[in-house]
Amino acid sequence: MERKTFPGTLDSLEGIRQEVKEESQRVGLSKKATYNLLLAIDEIATNIIMHGYEENDKSGVIDLQIDHRDNQIEVTLEDDAPPFDPLQHTLPTEEFFNKPLEERPIGGMGIHLTINAVDKFRYEFANQRNRNIFVVKVGDA
Amino acid sequence: MSFHILSEAKKIAKITLVGEIDSLSAREFQKEIEKLATGSPDELILYVENLTFISSAGLRVLIFAKQKMGTNLAIYIVKPQESVLETLEKTGLQHSVNIVDQYL
Repeated sequence: MERKTFPGTLDSLEGIRQEVKEESQRVGLSKKATYNLLLAIDEIATNIIMHGYEENDKSGVIDLQIDHRDNQIEVTLEDDAPPFDPLQHTLPTEEFFNKPLEERPIGGMGIHLTINAVDKFRYEFANQRNRNIFVVKVGDA
Repeated sequence: MSFHILSEAKKIAKITLVGEIDSLSAREFQKEIEKLATGSPDELILYVENLTFISSAGLRVLIFAKQKMGTNLAIYIVKPQESVLETLEKTGLQHSVNIVDQYL
């Protein structure tokens, strides 16, 4: 697929999900795997927009690229926010998930959902851009 | 023998969620919770049969509801779709809410 560019604002989330959903359905990704992929992408795109751009008083874009080869679908999000590796973020511990809702700190869930939702997730900083890559095998339930 | 009477009037807040909750729509959801919180409900009933997507931003609104409406608030999630239910389970939220097929 050709690269598509979205403004780095929250109202782009729906369009990004829509693109990924259509492509996932086209290559025959299961309903469940598609949902999980959309969730992962939504979480990371939200981070880029809110923490990468908004909190730094910056505006910018998110580039979306979807490739399908070797029985897998690979989605790449690229942005121009300051370097941020979501994997360097502290993952919530088991203690966090055992806490009753009212005592839980807000946050930390998004990256947990992302990592658990796809077969592979990786981060690169290349050509002065953040690059978040999601890989899901097609044919898996 | 003296006469005793006990009565109870529960305050119930109901919200129907349709479509997709991401970080943008979660803001509307949160505003609605804030509005309802002023009435200090005992129970919050969320009808989610036609909710097709929820991100962590939506889940955080549930946490916010508990924190805002008080720890005694009982949250009922009525008829979640499988994928929504799975997201609740992955984050351990199913322990803090009541997932039901029907609210009676």
